[in-house]
Amino acid sequence: MIPFFPWKRALHRKTVWFSLLVILTLGLVAVLAPWLAPHDPYEWRVTQSYLPPAWAADPSTLQTTEFPLGTDRYGRDILSRLIYGTRTAFFLALTAVSLAALIGTLLGLVSGYAGGRLDTWFMLFTDTVQSLPGIMFLVIIVLIFRSFLSPTWLHGLFTLVIGYAAVGWVSLARLIRINVLQIKSHLFVEAAVSVGATPWRILHRHLLPNVLHVVLVWIINNIPAVILLEAILGYIGIGVTSAIDSSEFTVISWGGMFFSGRSAMNRNPLMLIIPSLCILLISMSFILLADFLNEATRPEQG
Amino acid sequence: MSLFQLLLGKLLRVITILVGVTLIVFLLMHAIPGNPWSNYSSSARMMPNIDINKHLQQELYRHFGLNLPLWRQFTRYIIGDLDQDGSFFCGALCGNLGPSIRQRGRTVVEVLFEPPEGRTFWQSRFGYSFRLVLFGALIATSLGITLGIWSATRPRSRVSRVISVGLAALISIPNFVLGLLAIIILASWLRVIKVLPDWNHPEDWIVPAVVLAVMPMANLARVTRASVMNILGDDYVRTARGKGLTQTRVMLVHVMRNALVPILTFLGPTVVEMFAGLLIVENLYSFPGFGREFWISVLALDYPTILGLTWIYAAGIVLVNTVTEALCEILDPRVRLVKGQGAA
Repeated sequence: MIPFFPWKRALHRKTVWFSLLVILTLGLVAVLAPWLAPHDPYEWRVTQSYLPPAWAADPSTLQTTEFPLGTDRYGRDILSRLIYGTRTAFFLALTAVSLAALIGTLLGLVSGYAGGRLDTWFMLFTDTVQSLPGIMFLVIIVLIFRSFLSPTWLHGLFTLVIGYAAVGWVSLARLIRINVLQIKSHLFVEAAVSVGATPWRILHRHLLPNVLHVVLVWIINNIPAVILLEAILGYIGIGVTSAIDSSEFTVISWGGMFFSGRSAMNRNPLMLIIPSLCILLISMSFILLADFLNEATRPEQG
Repeated sequence: MSLFQLLLGKLLRVITILVGVTLIVFLLMHAIPGNPWSNYSSSARMMPNIDINKHLQQELYRHFGLNLPLWRQFTRYIIGDLDQDGSFFCGALCGNLGPSIRQRGRTVVEVLFEPPEGRTFWQSRFGYSFRLVLFGALIATSLGITLGIWSATRPRSRVSRVISVGLAALISIPNFVLGLLAIIILASWLRVIKVLPDWNHPEDWIVPAVVLAVMPMANLARVTRASVMNILGDDYVRTARGKGLTQTRVMLVHVMRNALVPILTFLGPTVVEMFAGLLIVENLYSFPGFGREFWISVLALDYPTILGLTWIYAAGIVLVNTVTEALCEILDPRVRLVKGQGAA
């Protein structure tokens, strides 16, 4: 059995240290957001809109250090919004990917173990879902849900979670299925059948533990994708923030910051660069972590 | 099983998938609140149209077949239906994707594939998108594969490590940020490119193509690197070296031949992803292609165009997948073997 997470080897890698550090730090920032943020991220200061960041500010004016990264169109503090945006990013990464992982694991296990006609139909279905053009499909889903649900702060997030999970589970299900097909031929499964274990017991006591590492690698591989997705949808203006008029001011996300940064592109390009640096940092650390896991869990090299 | 049966099975599968995709998109599309004639507001399209004449609305519904029950609309789209004057017209199966609602009097096929008057085919929406993706794919594959091989042959060198971290970084940057930065830096600060590009000049294509190509390039380089490194450790490579073959010959004949299969299986989805990525890049540079058309028709709820575009995309994806599968089987006999075992 392949270990779930090879801690011992992980500690010898600089990239793993780097990525764990980044993820933990950003996670802490997300948890501690209300205490870390210097200002209320929702508060409008219309007289102080589009302030430049502290190092570029005119020293003769008073507010040099009050807004370290400047303010946006409504005079909201960009640093605070960035800090609160971390929460959204983590929330999305955790819920969307785990929902997709849950569906994918379950269906993959069942289809792989059951085999036969069910498996054939299932493969046809996954083929169909995989033939949907990804981002276009998501745009349609977001458009459907954005006026269905009530505009609470969860609203846009749920849309994205559902949209991502609707397509995302397929790749995992196929991966799990192939793994299950291999594991199924092992002797211990046959032994379990012969002592009269129920299919459910075989699924969750014998097959599931053997594919858990696949699930973990998949989850880590896909978290950056979700964060990027939120940014893209936010940027084209149908993401978390701009779902309904009022909710542009209730959910704070990096994608929404892109959306507001887009219109201030020439005035203050930092409004685009700062959230993209955050995205770069977080998804890069997840990618490096995934790289390490890919290497470490490759069976033949042990 | 004879070859004929095999092909027939494949064809049936492809058709099922295409109909399935159309069905999913069809149902979802009709779940978007509003209709093509409702007032559009940037926040949500929830308000019914106030100005439109009730009678006129009914007439429009009837003309586009939107008054039929959903399942009838679907069969009308796929198979075809009787016209208002009683003659039969064929649906998507014959390549008739229906009339566009937003652009009155033109069919979807015309909107997507027909160039403006007096232009060549390559200046239609399809032509523009296709050329952009082709350009981007060329950049992505040539650079990506070279980078991948280069860094795989020297896995321990500092440069190669920097490259692999740099590739991870390139994947993590959203491509619209790159695009916007390109506009800010190249167009407004350095004034190297035009803010309003003229697509008849090839040099104006460079920036969108590069922006489109960056992420696939990095992905491809990573895949190439991983698969080449995997193979370099194999026994037969050592044997080939031991026989005294030159490095180039080992790389080209022994390593690349085997590394090609994973690269190829990755290349197909990459090209498809680039077509999807057009949605962002084309809107960024107001490029007259598929992505922009899709965005406009989603906002206007132009049902037939949305369906048609998704259909074309899905057909493309299925086609690419089938071709890649076949190519892999030709290139690598082991794939055939594994498949045979998997079915048993």
